[in-house]
Amino acid sequence: MISDKLKKVILGVLELDDWTFTPETTASMVPGWDSLSHARIISAVEDAYGIRFQTRDIIRLETVAQLQALVDKAG
Amino acid sequence: MANREFLIDPRGLVWDHLSARAVRQPSHEAIVHVAAGEVPYRWHWRPLMDAASSAGRWLASQGVKRGEVCALLIRHHRDFYPLYLGACSIGALPAVLAYPNVRLHPEKFRQGLEGMAARSGLDHILTERDLAATVEPLVRGTRSTIRRVHYPLEATAGTFGDGGHLAPSVAEGSDGACLLQHSSGTTGLQKPVALSHHAVLQHIQRYAGAIQLHAEDRIISWLPLYHDMGLIAGFYLPLLCGVPLVQLSPMEWVASPAMLPQAISSEKGTLCWLPNFAYNFMAERIREEDLAGVRLDTLRLLVNCSEPVRAESHERLYARFAPYGLRRSALGACYAMAETTFAVTQTVPGQEARQLRVERAALANGRVVPSRSGDPSAMRLCVSSGVPLPGCSLRILAEDLHEAPSGRVGDIAVSSESLFTGYRNYPEKTAEVLVDGWYQTGDCGFLHEGECYVVGRKKDLIIVAGNKLAPDDIESAVSAVAGVIAGRVVAFGAEDTQRGTEMLCVVLESGAEAEADRRALRLQVVQAAMAIDVTLSRVYVAPPRWMMKTSSGKLARSSNAQRALAELAWK
Repeated sequence: MISDKLKKVILGVLELDDWTFTPETTASMVPGWDSLSHARIISAVEDAYGIRFQTRDIIRLETVAQLQALVDKAG
Repeated sequence: MANREFLIDPRGLVWDHLSARAVRQPSHEAIVHVAAGEVPYRWHWRPLMDAASSAGRWLASQGVKRGEVCALLIRHHRDFYPLYLGACSIGALPAVLAYPNVRLHPEKFRQGLEGMAARSGLDHILTERDLAATVEPLVRGTRSTIRRVHYPLEATAGTFGDGGHLAPSVAEGSDGACLLQHSSGTTGLQKPVALSHHAVLQHIQRYAGAIQLHAEDRIISWLPLYHDMGLIAGFYLPLLCGVPLVQLSPMEWVASPAMLPQAISSEKGTLCWLPNFAYNFMAERIREEDLAGVRLDTLRLLVNCSEPVRAESHERLYARFAPYGLRRSALGACYAMAETTFAVTQTVPGQEARQLRVERAALANGRVVPSRSGDPSAMRLCVSSGVPLPGCSLRILAEDLHEAPSGRVGDIAVSSESLFTGYRNYPEKTAEVLVDGWYQTGDCGFLHEGECYVVGRKKDLIIVAGNKLAPDDIESAVSAVAGVIAGRVVAFGAEDTQRGTEMLCVVLESGAEAEADRRALRLQVVQAAMAIDVTLSRVYVAPPRWMMKTSSGKLARSSNAQRALAELAWK
């Protein structure tokens, strides 16, 4: 499950009103989510949760579900 | 002045220069391959060139012949380098292509590659199995030039290192082509430029002199090698001059920008080339804790190139990294393009790129008037890209194609001893831009006290984060979206001060009136652009018959862009 909090952070960075996230959603499916906005999303998620990701983990991210799992693990 | 060590005989061949280097300094570092979370892999000269010789023999055994073009579509991998050089060793022409981003629709990628293959005359594709399903059908196409697709990394795992002896000279004239590079951009813009051994060697010697390259230098780069800045400044320059190259992955750097200052610090980097957006990106995105122990004191020259140079971006980077040892005098710049091999101008090493305050209103009218106004909104701070390299000349042309008077903005035309002889298989495009030995760059600028200031573009080109985008490609993709009135779309770039680059915008006409319908349309348009691997920042929806046309009946890009920014909401 993608939490409402994570979804809100992502939508905020991408300036989207809404978007349906499923566990299989990848960045390439979401309007505006490219390699540069990815960096902004990661920072925003880290700030929102007060956590820090490892570079290796960020580089390997493929789906939103994996991002959620990283957040859950860090929390 | 160039160190004597870097005096290169331009009559030679690239492979012979590299072979001689491997004999002269066999155990010196050639390339340090950096991958996140791994110990850097260090290629020393002799093992690298032996592996390249071995790769060359493998390519020959697979049917690759002298003069044939080998396109490399391979991700960041330590065996990429011997493979590229292996193609050189047998006199084939290597051409690095961008590995497709996951969001690029496979069919769009295949179409783009097919068009490029036909235009550029690609003979062989060297790639990874992951792309097999996309690339293999190209070989079967009746009009395809591609003879075969090879998977060298999978086919020869670990065998490139068993070379043993250096491949002999391919023994041809130095006027022959040694590589193919493409002018950067979306498919509508990518044009193949074949460069001769002579052009490359001559240019490297000139450029090494301009940046005062010396034996203790170390180049740090994350730049992709399908781009001229990465290929020439970040690959041929270090290899031909025997200076170590520390190569990072572009995709890893963008995910973790701290990798660059960390590599400069740990590898004691002295030289680095970056597009302007990277200055803002690194100033904003790198956290304090990622810089623990990092020192940038060794960095003597950071070259801003490939996008218009913005004074504010230099200031942001300097403010962020001065506490870590970044020197203001290291902030240099350069003006370069694939058609002249690479650089046309370069600032003097050890001196910050000069800045000139000019009257904004006068500049808009093509006049360069130094500003004495205290009002920041009335002036524009222009950054110099330096002086022409020896062997390069630069002219500022008025509309009648005659040289513009001093103090005027005009179209920049360049001539260089390393100028290309024309786009490969593209005479009509060559004729448009190459006039009497002068390349018409499409950029606008002026000369002031002998230095070149690039301030805009004549072509409707958009440059986002170092990538050149053709508005036509974006307009066709958007035009195909249901709900958009076909042919009534204009794509344009708008200055993005925060990010130090341009943001990509479109204005389109649609009959959608309800706000919910317009919102849905905007999303579809953004997604249509994503399928060709471009990100739209703003989508302006206008009512039917809103667009202004030129006297020849075409949509007026610049006027419609200005009007959209002034009158329409994008959200």
